[in-house]
Amino acid sequence: MKLAKYIKPYMMFVLLAPLSMVGEVMMDLLQPKLMSKIVDDGVLGNDMELIIRTGVIMLVTVIFGGMCGSASAFFAGCASQGFSRDVRNDLFRRVMGLSFQQTDRFTTGSLVTRITADITAIQQMADFLIRGFVRNIIMFTGGIIMMLTLAKSFGTIIAVALPIEAVIVVLIMKNANPLYAIVARRLDSVNSVMQENVTGARVVKAYVREKHEEQRFGEANMGLTEANLKVQQLMALLSPLLMVIMNFSVIAVIYIGGWQVQAKEMQVGEVMAAVTYLTQVLHGIMMLAMMFQTMARASASAKRVLEVLETQPVITDGSGATAGNGRGTVSLRGITFAYPASSGEPVLSDIDLDIGAGENIAILGSTGSGKTSLVNLIPRFYDPDEGEVFVDGCNVKDFKLSDLRQRVGIVMQKSELYSASVKDNIRWGDENASEEDIVNAARIAQADEFIRRMPDGYDSMIAEKGASLSGGQKQRMSIARAVLKKPEILIFDDSTSALDLGTEAALRNALHEQLKGTTVITIAQRIASVKSCDRIVVLDHGRIVGCDTHENLLGSCEVYKDIYSSQIKTNGGED
Amino acid sequence: MPPMPPDPNRKPAPGGRHAGLINAEKPKNARETLGKLLRYIGRSRYLFFGLMGVMLMITVLNLAAPYIQQIAIDCITLDGGRLSADTDKLVRTLILLGGVYLLNSLFSYFQGLFSAKLSQRTVSTMRRDLFGDLVKLPIKYFDTHRHGDIMSRMTNDVENISNTISQSIGSLISGVLTVTGSVIIMLTYSPLLTLISLSTVVLTILVSSKMTKFMRRYFLAQQIILGKLNSHVEEMVTGYRTVVSYSKEQAAVEQFNEMSDELRKTGIRAQICGGVMGPLMNCISNFGFVMIAAFGGWFSFKGWITVGTIQAFILYSKQFSRPINEIANQYANIQTAIAGAERIFEVMETPPETDSGSSPLTADDVRGDICFENIDFGYEPDKPVLKGFSLDIKRGQKIAIVGATGSGKTTVVNLLTRFYETDGGRITVDGTDITDIRKDELRRSVAIVLQDTVLFKGSIEENIRYGSEDASDHAVRRAAMHANADEFIRHLPEGYKTQLSEGGSNLSQGQRQLLSIARAVLADPKILILDEATSSVDTRTEMNIQSAMVALMKNRTSLIIAHRLSTIRDADIIVVIDGGKVAESGRHEDLIALRGCYYDLYQTQFAGNKT
Repeated sequence: MKLAKYIKPYMMFVLLAPLSMVGEVMMDLLQPKLMSKIVDDGVLGNDMELIIRTGVIMLVTVIFGGMCGSASAFFAGCASQGFSRDVRNDLFRRVMGLSFQQTDRFTTGSLVTRITADITAIQQMADFLIRGFVRNIIMFTGGIIMMLTLAKSFGTIIAVALPIEAVIVVLIMKNANPLYAIVARRLDSVNSVMQENVTGARVVKAYVREKHEEQRFGEANMGLTEANLKVQQLMALLSPLLMVIMNFSVIAVIYIGGWQVQAKEMQVGEVMAAVTYLTQVLHGIMMLAMMFQTMARASASAKRVLEVLETQPVITDGSGATAGNGRGTVSLRGITFAYPASSGEPVLSDIDLDIGAGENIAILGSTGSGKTSLVNLIPRFYDPDEGEVFVDGCNVKDFKLSDLRQRVGIVMQKSELYSASVKDNIRWGDENASEEDIVNAARIAQADEFIRRMPDGYDSMIAEKGASLSGGQKQRMSIARAVLKKPEILIFDDSTSALDLGTEAALRNALHEQLKGTTVITIAQRIASVKSCDRIVVLDHGRIVGCDTHENLLGSCEVYKDIYSSQIKTNGGED
Repeated sequence: MPPMPPDPNRKPAPGGRHAGLINAEKPKNARETLGKLLRYIGRSRYLFFGLMGVMLMITVLNLAAPYIQQIAIDCITLDGGRLSADTDKLVRTLILLGGVYLLNSLFSYFQGLFSAKLSQRTVSTMRRDLFGDLVKLPIKYFDTHRHGDIMSRMTNDVENISNTISQSIGSLISGVLTVTGSVIIMLTYSPLLTLISLSTVVLTILVSSKMTKFMRRYFLAQQIILGKLNSHVEEMVTGYRTVVSYSKEQAAVEQFNEMSDELRKTGIRAQICGGVMGPLMNCISNFGFVMIAAFGGWFSFKGWITVGTIQAFILYSKQFSRPINEIANQYANIQTAIAGAERIFEVMETPPETDSGSSPLTADDVRGDICFENIDFGYEPDKPVLKGFSLDIKRGQKIAIVGATGSGKTTVVNLLTRFYETDGGRITVDGTDITDIRKDELRRSVAIVLQDTVLFKGSIEENIRYGSEDASDHAVRRAAMHANADEFIRHLPEGYKTQLSEGGSNLSQGQRQLLSIARAVLADPKILILDEATSSVDTRTEMNIQSAMVALMKNRTSLIIAHRLSTIRDADIIVVIDGGKVAESGRHEDLIALRGCYYDLYQTQFAGNKT
């Protein structure tokens, strides 16, 4: 397994853990033998002193065994926790370095489970392996050896019982595993019906669909119950079957032992010890079976973790040799772009666009016309399939990514806030910003007023990704964050959609006054929002069909005229 | 008699092997909840009694086995090796022992079957009831409770109960029976030796309860740091775009590494605690073993007991140290399950939406006259949103509601559909108070398109058909065309049969919106509500929708909540909400001429343009 290299630094612990385990198990295995000595030599041999002496020896071994066991727990803990920390850290670092096309492919939900649940599963397996596996193997082989030293004839019993047990375990597990997969799937569908109804309660009620939903849930629930029952009915067979075999072996031991005692080849205490050993051996096989099952489950997790670890980011740092002119110019040359995961029809084709320093430019177009894709190329969220992107006169591929992204500020369509105070959320834009800077940025973003109204003002905590804030408030906070960053190029990706008209106008004025010299690229839906821009780029099906001022576009661009008339239709008399 | 192997059905509980310890929350009203839970189990009472019966048999057999085994061993020991006379007895005893073992396994199998059935049946009913009650909860419940919490009642809490029924109840009953049985039999053998083995039991209980308390602290600490780490991951990964655009990857990694290392440290500590527990218990039970061996040896030396008795004692003492450990463990599990059950019953006992409608008015009869009379309403008692809100809407009118964020536009809709109940005043539809109309009929007469689109897992077709199950394929198609969704749907690989992933995440926001509009179109209601429904559809698409809507809105009463003046300009009446009541209403031209709130709103849109 490729995760093996992560265990190397902890190899010493990995070795020490089973070693001290050997101590514990040895002591456990000694008990029946000492016991038989008490019975055979002490009781039957009328030797009281021997009984006491052996008793003391037993006590010492017990305490020693307990100490060994604790030490083993300590070593195993050090190894498995250290191992999982290292895997976890590497995994998270890798995820934080992935390119968007890769996070798109993995989906964020799955990445989160990989870093959390899957790592936990691997860690538990590591711990389990280090301790349980070794312990059971020693118990198992040790038990067999001890039995054979008591009497060779017991070997036959083991030789018969073991394969039968193994076959039973394998057969049942083989049948159960696919059933477990079904259970997992059914559980998923129960959960998803539930999830949909919790989040979509309004729609369910509005369309009076409670009955239908109950029915839908009923089906999913029945399915889950049936699958669960099936698997549990099968598993209910396992332990009684194994117990029968185990118990009959015990009977066989007593029977054979009885003959041997009679033949004076063996002593009673030894028969009793053999019964104990046999139990240990047969019990061990069951534990091994369960361990293999755990391993099977964890190996699925390991596979998912490795898949991420082995993904190389597509978009990597440039040489960083260029500094650029620092003025905030953007040029797109012959761009063609399709999302890697999509069927191939390009989202953008033949895009050529030059944006000058300090220019105020807007991008307009219908859903799916490629507006967001276009701006995503500037900070290299994606790389185009053909053509080149220049920022400050340099190819974006020559910048270090962090340098490039320092120059470009982008406010997303969906605002993302973090569990921290309002202040710290805004401070994301600039680690070293003073309070004053933050308040100023918030003021520009029209956020100052509502932030001050919050219970703790700028120190209020944002919980649950800002669930308590309205869409408009979240947008304004993300704008404040971007403003604070003072980028050369500031991109608004439809990020004022939840603001009411008055607020949006005030925001636009403040930006205009306070951020002179910053190149601003605005994606918007409403013509009113962008009418005043220096130029408006009109996108249609991934192509630029117009790029000019509002007035000129009205004369020259059909698509623009369409959009305009749809919005300002009845406004003729007013202008 | 070998120890019973651990139950392979046991699924690892969330949080790993020691979950019972960490989660052991104290239920608030354990007795009452337990009573309710038992009533659920009681629905399958025959199964329950069957399980009890089987368990009783197993216990008896379990207790008998060492006894018989002891007789067998004594057969061998008799007379220090001269036992030819007893071979017959040995064989007979062993056959008897075999029979006991066979029966034991058979009953164990039945026990497995019964407890699986019992737990599955109980939990399945419970899940169904919980869901049934859930869909009847008022919207307020969903608005005021975290969705994750509600979900976890369905998943974790139910799972806990299921595990507890299938495992804890069984081992609790058999544990108690075994312990009392073992003690009684041991007493008949040798009261003195019994006393000695019981002393180790006392030691076990003392040590394990002390250790558990100690461990719980460390596991709790581990759980807390794990929770912190998980939410960090969640935030950074779901907000990855923002992380990247602010070049915060390194900072995120560093923060993560710190937590990760802390987790390692607390993890090791917790693990050592857990790891010491096993050897310690082992140590104590071995100690008991030594005591019995030594004292037993001494007693038998004195001729008070036989060697077989020692063997039986060892087995019995093993047999009851296991259930005692288990009872201690199960106690924590049962507490967790009861706390979970309490949360489930809490949902079930939340009063459902009231529906006292007795008016014969049905959705088909509704014509669409709506009247708000002096409505007072607030989501929280001391924060009124609407104060004396009155509005009269005639059938077929197109009403645009405008106002600043938080002015109560959406509230009007919430009240009309009775998602919330008014605090004062009344709302009538066709002159009938809506509290008198049956809720399903009221809602059937209204179709809503919400700002946040809600789509369900299933095909596009099924999603459009959501409002009207019996609609023909043709009708579905026509509705999609009206909503301008037909074109993009037909471009999808499987057209109308395309399966939506959860929440419709394989569609764009605009496309999802179009689907929910198509759904409303198909529902063909008398009253149509559009709550900022067009805000994420681009203007060209919106224009198309609008033209479809003009046709759709004919003969219907429509309420539109939108920020865009272009969307609402051709409304029959524009209502401006301010300060919890209607500040202005009238046609666009009239309101402009009035130079009031609406004029201000209108001006800001265009004033922004002129600079």
